[in-house]
Amino acid sequence: MDPTLGRVIERWRAGDREAFEEVMDRYGLQLLRTARLILRDPSLAEDAIQETFLKAWQRIGSLRDEDPGPWLTRIAMNESISLYRRRHRFQTLTERFGRLGGTRHEVPSEERLDLARALDQLTPEQRAAVALHYYQDLSVEETARIIRVPVDTVKSRLKTALRRLREVTGAGEAFA
Amino acid sequence: MSDDFEKKLREHLHSEAQETREFPRRLRGRIRDGIAPRTRAGIAPQLALAGALVLVAVAVLAFRNPTIISVVTTGIKQFVQPSPSPTPQPFLCRDQSGGSGGLTATLTNIRPGSHAGDGYDRVVFDFNGGVPSWDLTRQESAIFTRDASGQQVTLDGSAGLKVVFRDAALAGAVPTDVTPRFSSIREIAQLGNFERVVTYGIGLSSSQCVRVLPLSNPSRLAIDVATSGSASTTAAPTPLPTLSPSGTDLGAFSCVDHSGGADNGLAMQLTVVRVAHQPGFDRIVFEFAPQPGSTAHLPAYTVSRQASAQFVKDPSGQPVTMRGSSGLRIVFHGASVSPTYTGSRDQTPSLPVVQEVEQLGDFEAVLSWGAGLSRASCLRTLELANPTRLVIDVQTP
Repeated sequence: MDPTLGRVIERWRAGDREAFEEVMDRYGLQLLRTARLILRDPSLAEDAIQETFLKAWQRIGSLRDEDPGPWLTRIAMNESISLYRRRHRFQTLTERFGRLGGTRHEVPSEERLDLARALDQLTPEQRAAVALHYYQDLSVEETARIIRVPVDTVKSRLKTALRRLREVTGAGEAFA
Repeated sequence: MSDDFEKKLREHLHSEAQETREFPRRLRGRIRDGIAPRTRAGIAPQLALAGALVLVAVAVLAFRNPTIISVVTTGIKQFVQPSPSPTPQPFLCRDQSGGSGGLTATLTNIRPGSHAGDGYDRVVFDFNGGVPSWDLTRQESAIFTRDASGQQVTLDGSAGLKVVFRDAALAGAVPTDVTPRFSSIREIAQLGNFERVVTYGIGLSSSQCVRVLPLSNPSRLAIDVATSGSASTTAAPTPLPTLSPSGTDLGAFSCVDHSGGADNGLAMQLTVVRVAHQPGFDRIVFEFAPQPGSTAHLPAYTVSRQASAQFVKDPSGQPVTMRGSSGLRIVFHGASVSPTYTGSRDQTPSLPVVQEVEQLGDFEAVLSWGAGLSRASCLRTLELANPTRLVIDVQTP
């Protein structure tokens, strides 16, 4: 880890709020942008990042001698997905029963969506994988490490997400 | 074909992310409030109960022995005296911020004072209603822009500090221009009082590190500016070599971080990075070209010194160790590497001081490079046009 950053982390460990704010300055914006890509809502994204930093402040003891970026991203991803689930519980149940019933939400050809609306169709876990891989430019392995799932799971989420995005934007036909 | 869709997706995500242009102040305030020590709030009921019991006890004692009143009032006077200065904080050579949002604070006075014997000048901003949210920004000149009108104002000095208070009003008696002409602090002038944002500029004799102390009873914000040569108060990450007195036509070297340029929203493209030795310094040149249809300008930049040659890549967070024992981190906002850039992204020129220059990130129009140095050195930056260039001269022994 960069020694300068290491010293900031040490001050943070000692309860220095200014050091904590330095970390917030360094990582806050990118985390907020990533959360917004997952949650699709600016206010929810702010709530998720607020919780992220509050948890980070409380759990600094669990940060080992490592760059805090991936650690903070992991907390932010968990908070975002968890918040999304809480706010969309009813929708989630509907989707689950829909799947159990064997029906599948088909997008009519006349409702081809743009990418922004197409991303809304993904699950938050898929969006997290997409955001880390395609927005933060992390490798599949790095993405897997951050969200703590097997590499194959990340590959599967990305593959499913891409297929779904192509489907609802009509790109699948164009690229078929 | 699949790559095209992924490329389109990647571009879309970046574009969508750019809609969030900054980390909101209100969010920062919420987080700051959330990490406030809870012990005081948690024991508030107990403190109230204890206070009530003490008052009852004092009343009983006073009834029996009236002299107790003078003892108690002496104690209360001591209790409500202005808070003593906290443990000295380090002087920091960077922008700072603090305070609390959501207050209805009023700036009531500005008091400059010289503490030259202790190595600093101080200006105190007095408030009613608590110290509001504030931002302190350092700048390399004493020229400021007035809020709302946009007029330029030049204060005494060659460097400056801009202090912005939010959710603050201004009492009528507060001076709009003070000229203490101290060693460091030369002039303090009001730059704006508009929609509860009060702004002051502070003209400094030279660029110096700053310490900010929020104090209570009464509420006030003390800004201490180190005086020239006060080694005990500077906060350089490592001991830096002293400046050579031999100035050049290109300007003097200074042992502080540098910044400049402007981010006008249109990303400039980095076309060339050159490194070479000149008598007395090693020179790093970043050359830019505008995108088709846009005008040339030097992107906003910061050149930050650091006490090691270890860097972190942006945005992956991967550590990078360059050659040398010290470093510079150069960050451009509103810039990216040109698609036609063919130069090396990791140069190892092995000059007297500059040992390595490597790209650290190119993400969201934020372009980062690092330079590994054989020793901590002072700098000079030059902004040149035709073509647009940032020149960083690193002083050599």
